[in-house]
Amino acid sequence: MVFSDVDDLGIQINSFLSGTMETDSVTSGKDPYRVAKYCAGNIYALKGRQFPESIAASILELQKKNDYDYIFIGSTAIGRDVAALLSEDLGFEVASEITGFRTEGGRIITRRFFYGGKTVLEESSTAKILTVMPGISEPKSSAKEGTVTEIESPASRITLIGAEDKTSGAVDLEKAGIIVSIGRGIGKQENIEKVNPLVEAVRGELAGSRPICLDYHWLSEDRQVGLSGKKVRPRVYIALGISGQIQHIAGMRGSKTVVAINKDKAAPIFEEADYGIVGDLFQIVPKLVEAIKSGQ
Amino acid sequence: MPVNIIVLFKQIIDIDLLKADPSTGSPLVQNLPLRLETLSKNAIEEAVRIKEKKGGKVYGLCFGTEKASSALKEAYAMGVDEGLIITGYERNDPTRTAKVLAEKIKTIPHDIVMMGNQSAESYTGLLAGKIAKILGEPLLSNAIKVDVEEGKARVVMATESENLTAEAATPLVISVTQEINEPRLPPVMQILQAGKKPINMEATSISGSSEVQVISNLAPKSERKKLVFEDPEKGIPEVSKAIREAIK
Repeated sequence: MVFSDVDDLGIQINSFLSGTMETDSVTSGKDPYRVAKYCAGNIYALKGRQFPESIAASILELQKKNDYDYIFIGSTAIGRDVAALLSEDLGFEVASEITGFRTEGGRIITRRFFYGGKTVLEESSTAKILTVMPGISEPKSSAKEGTVTEIESPASRITLIGAEDKTSGAVDLEKAGIIVSIGRGIGKQENIEKVNPLVEAVRGELAGSRPICLDYHWLSEDRQVGLSGKKVRPRVYIALGISGQIQHIAGMRGSKTVVAINKDKAAPIFEEADYGIVGDLFQIVPKLVEAIKSGQ
Repeated sequence: MPVNIIVLFKQIIDIDLLKADPSTGSPLVQNLPLRLETLSKNAIEEAVRIKEKKGGKVYGLCFGTEKASSALKEAYAMGVDEGLIITGYERNDPTRTAKVLAEKIKTIPHDIVMMGNQSAESYTGLLAGKIAKILGEPLLSNAIKVDVEEGKARVVMATESENLTAEAATPLVISVTQEINEPRLPPVMQILQAGKKPINMEATSISGSSEVQVISNLAPKSERKKLVFEDPEKGIPEVSKAIREAIK
């Protein structure tokens, strides 16, 4: 069984598993009918906006009925709580934030980041619940469409007072071919427009590090790249004024080519870059745009 | 109405200083300084702010080793009133950690159990849910704002796409995000006073049952070209060429 509150992530996990195992999918996301096109057999759509407690209760019922071998859960804010609640209900161990897995003689071998992304930890366990990091695979649609069943939400001890949408709705970094990403080196919000000519010249998407998106709110949260944000893998990732904290690297390690511009020669981003230029990004970016446009 | 809060905190190695052996990729964890974990500071800060506003008591609880006394002193300096270190921590095992902490929490009267949503080092993000389940208390997770009123708490929960405002009756479990506050740097006076507070320790009798085997834990190899130009005039044409080829 696969659960995610984010449809795209549910689809990624179903695609990742297709060919390996049969899956049913549970979603509290926006569009269960879209999930149905991506390799899941039965799709259980949880109605209304739900909290981890009620989601876990619904999944528990399905687990009791269908006795799934594994429960894969999208590693999101809600998904991690659902995994934790279910693991105590069912007495199943959890392998967290996995980026890949294989089964071997009744055990499951999982891979995940550890020490804040500095190492990759490979473990063998009897875990039956797995939270899955976003960005592990490309969505693969299937010819056969799954059946959607709606499930009413159980009673909850938590009352919803209000909801505020915080997505810009215009950006899908995980699918972007070129990303121009900014860090603290941008200095102030007004300076963001100075990198826009580069974004346009490469026909890319603008992204940012954690401080830019979450602390200063200079960019919307769905543009954050990092361990706690989007895991991206564009053809080119251009890091401007990003020092390259390991938490950031964990979000862009899958990029094909990495370009870094930073005034600090010792910035760790240069260790993770294919091409680096040491210098003032506000002087370099206009020249780079010029060079790209003139084909030099 | 005074609010009694149990805040959970953790001590970790200073991961920002962590380096890997260049030949084997093994993380060199020996002799690294220990520090109070990032999200634990946010949880402590939030608990202390609620106490300062509403009155009540903040009880700090840590599952760690004898070395965690420095973390407890830091928690005291930030405003924690009373604290306990449960010793016997061996490794990252959220099931055991949740059980050890929850069994102790059951014996301490409280309105709120507060903790970070995901620790900076292991990043499992399971502890809040597991503890809430064992205690049978509602869970308000990933909080970016907490307001406590008579017999209930109202929290703004941050998900990937929305901020949800939600409410539940106390006692309950709240996990906080890094964005909820800026943890204070305690003044010297408070640090000195914290040094005089008792460091309570007790060993756990709960053992781990998980049979996780570590196969490897190594720094991923970077296969980047690392062509770094200190002269932009030389770098720009190279970078421009690489970008143009990639966007063709």
